[in-house]
Amino acid sequence: MGSMFRSEEVALVQLFLPTAAAYTCVSRLGELGLVEFRDLNASVSAFQRRFVVDVRRCEELEKTFTFLQEEVRRAGLVLPPPEGRLPAPPPRDLLRIQEETERLAQELRDVRGNQQALRAQLHQLQLHAAVLGQGHGPQLAAAHTDGTSERMPLLQAPGGPHQDLRVNFVAGAVEPHKAPALERLLWRACRGFLIASFRELEQPLEHPVTGEPATWMTFLISYWGEQIGQKIRKITDCFHCHVFPFLEQEEARRGALRQLQQQSQELQEVLGETERFLSQVLGRVLQLLPPGQVQVHKMKAVYLALNQCSVSTTHKCLIAEAWCSVRDLPALQEALRDSSTEEGVSAVAHRIPCRDMPPTLIRTNRFTASFQGIVDAYGVGRYQEVNPAPYTIITFPFLFAVMFGDVGHGLLMFLFALAMVLAENRPAVKAAQNEIWQTFFRGRYLLLLMGLFSIYTGFIYNECFSRATSIFPSGWSVAAMANQSGWSDAFLAQHAMLTLDPNVTGVFLGPYPFGIDPVWSLAANHLSFLNSFKMKMSVILGVVHMAFGVVLGVFNHVHFGQKHRLLLETLPELTFLLGLFGYLVFLVIYKWLCVSAASAALAPSILIHFINMFLFSHSPTNRPLYPRQEVVQATLVVLALAMVPVLLLGTPLHLLRRHRPHLRRRAAGRQEEDKAGLLDLPDASVNGWSSDEEKAGGLDDEEEAELVPSEVLMHQAIHTIEFCLGCVSNTASYLRLWALSLAHAQLSEVLWAMVMSIGLGLSREVGVAAVVLVPIFAAFAVMTVAILLVMEGLSAFLHALRLHWVEFQNKFYSGTGYKLSPFTFAATDD
Amino acid sequence: VRVRGPARLIASGARLLLRMLSALLGRGPAHLQRPLLGPASRLGILRLAMTAHSFALPVIIFTTFWGLIGIAGPWFVPKGPNRGVIITMLVATAVCCYLFWLIAILAQLNPLFGPQLKNETIWYVRFLWE
Repeated sequence: MGSMFRSEEVALVQLFLPTAAAYTCVSRLGELGLVEFRDLNASVSAFQRRFVVDVRRCEELEKTFTFLQEEVRRAGLVLPPPEGRLPAPPPRDLLRIQEETERLAQELRDVRGNQQALRAQLHQLQLHAAVLGQGHGPQLAAAHTDGTSERMPLLQAPGGPHQDLRVNFVAGAVEPHKAPALERLLWRACRGFLIASFRELEQPLEHPVTGEPATWMTFLISYWGEQIGQKIRKITDCFHCHVFPFLEQEEARRGALRQLQQQSQELQEVLGETERFLSQVLGRVLQLLPPGQVQVHKMKAVYLALNQCSVSTTHKCLIAEAWCSVRDLPALQEALRDSSTEEGVSAVAHRIPCRDMPPTLIRTNRFTASFQGIVDAYGVGRYQEVNPAPYTIITFPFLFAVMFGDVGHGLLMFLFALAMVLAENRPAVKAAQNEIWQTFFRGRYLLLLMGLFSIYTGFIYNECFSRATSIFPSGWSVAAMANQSGWSDAFLAQHAMLTLDPNVTGVFLGPYPFGIDPVWSLAANHLSFLNSFKMKMSVILGVVHMAFGVVLGVFNHVHFGQKHRLLLETLPELTFLLGLFGYLVFLVIYKWLCVSAASAALAPSILIHFINMFLFSHSPTNRPLYPRQEVVQATLVVLALAMVPVLLLGTPLHLLRRHRPHLRRRAAGRQEEDKAGLLDLPDASVNGWSSDEEKAGGLDDEEEAELVPSEVLMHQAIHTIEFCLGCVSNTASYLRLWALSLAHAQLSEVLWAMVMSIGLGLSREVGVAAVVLVPIFAAFAVMTVAILLVMEGLSAFLHALRLHWVEFQNKFYSGTGYKLSPFTFAATDD
Repeated sequence: VRVRGPARLIASGARLLLRMLSALLGRGPAHLQRPLLGPASRLGILRLAMTAHSFALPVIIFTTFWGLIGIAGPWFVPKGPNRGVIITMLVATAVCCYLFWLIAILAQLNPLFGPQLKNETIWYVRFLWE
């Protein structure tokens, strides 16, 4: 059998890495992804390990990388993906990378700072220019009446002797939403002594930091009096207004404006230069960053792995322990040899025995990966126990299809999966980020098989979008029944429903050769027939599936050297299961074969027989199926019940009997060992901790596992109760196959009857019917996909999964292992 | 060579099963008769051949078909790393699909009651299916 039957052999390997070559070797191992390192320094905290300084440096570099990445993102650029093979750089290169990165980061910070300052300055200049350029007409005109003009001073105070009052100005800009408040406050505080004029700037100015356009309100306050001036300044300060010097003379103002414009032009040139330099720096960052990130990531991973090795000072080398598949041992040794000969030393690896349970490794390709995935989702198998995945490849889609069976829906699912499979190598498809799509895409082979089997079961159920097809002529003849019973037209008009009787000759012509007869889809009592058929089908499939599970347990017992369990567990389990529920299956098939319509009125009821079998009672109205049925049933029940104590006590007694001499010796020997004070370690491993995995996976007879009798008996009692009660409940659980297929069929039929059927019957004229059918078909299609494909599909998927995880796997699978997760950089290389 | 032992057992079991079934075939569908001629034939309208369905023929055909896939197929799988998985898949498919088909046909072998039809359906089908 291929490598999926059970886990590959995984061995514990001890690596001797000379200090000079340790980094290169581990880096090479990371590229290959062969081994999983065991942490030999588990008792040491992260800060006390040997290479913590290097790890710290890598982390600081990563922080700088993050800063650079953020800057790149802020500038609106996209980092190109790293190209080519980028192995972890040697330690001496780390300094160079660090220097370069630091320099770039510093430059970037400086340039950014300069740019900010320049922009703020430019903003001020622009604001000043705008304030000066804004015309506040009447006030300025009035300001010219210093007494030299002949016009009547508008600002003449009604009092009189105020001729040499000088009008002063405060000009500035304020944000528009603060302007009304400012105006009000000025009015209240300095009423009568100032005139304030607010104008909004037509052109919005760019905000220096965010770059968004913002409008400003400029104001010109003309006032007289020193104290008023102070008050006004305090108020404008409070409102965070930008205040600029406002010269009285028009020419002076114009000169100032010209100067401002010149300054801002120069500033803009400088700003342009700065931004050009910034883009240069960013260009260098784009070049350095992607490969640098990958390299530093790998380096950090290598140092973290090296931190897990223990240091042997006498031999000046690092000792590492790793799990490695036996098949990969030659490749491992070759890799170590290659990477260490460059330094002139040699690294070696050799296998050591180990008591701990190794991790499980099952190699899969892209087809089998999804099936192994759904098995692993329940629990990764214990080391070298039988893997249910190869059987799941077929039984899971099959049980799904039993619950989903419809040709049309199956075909849609199959085509969807086929499209995904055929497009699986396209880069656009692989790079899609949508999680829901990724879920469907990863299960494309699963969907393919599910669709294929659904088409098959759809043909057997004779359902295509809930319509039956007559591939072969039906086995029921309505004409024969009508002729023989004298069903004239008048008779038919009087009776709304009539039943075909298989006892009448010529009515039933034989079983439909492939699937369910199409006449049943026309019948009003089709559920009576289908329910009986599907329930019996579910029980038969369930018993076969569970018996297969028990048989798979045989391989486990043989492999782990527990042949006594074959006789003491598998045989009683099979007898119990098949004696009771296998017999039920036999009754079902017997009744199908031997009870015909002629005796339909007196047909025996299997259910009553089965109940009476357990109660040892007898129903007089229920005829026996075959002679001596009661004797057979009584024997089977007694046999099955007799198997329970065998199951309960067989294995514990056997184990206790086998270990009794050992236990006695151990009790005596323990006293001597305590005196000597030396415990000989069963492990050659440097790491003295042995992880506490299930002792039931014990390898040979010298299990140091303390055989506590109560524990063994308890364990076996639980197993017996679980199995016996589970037989009953699990068989009933398989009836969900019937329930879900019924639900799917009914939903499908309702959708057809309520949507398509009405649509097709709406009008007799082809033109009208064609137009009306378009939206009706659209509704039908949308509901088919949403309700029947997605919802029912998910539902059937879930139930098929449950049947596998619970009813099938609890007969032989423990799922208490852990996966081999090799030390690899592969995740960062994409 | 390992596969031959169990294959022989399976083959002999299949032969036993066929013997049992053929013993029942004599009593098979209880109403095997030549079709009655309906009124449509008098009018000379072409009608579907209402032949009685035999039980033996589908059983032989499908048993052979799935038997070929499940028992003979594994011999032709090329050697490679996936040989074991492909053989498992072939055998499991054959067993599941054959069992499912067999259950469907056995359930209809001796029906204890017939379909209950509406009078419109009877009126229409009576002439359509003859």
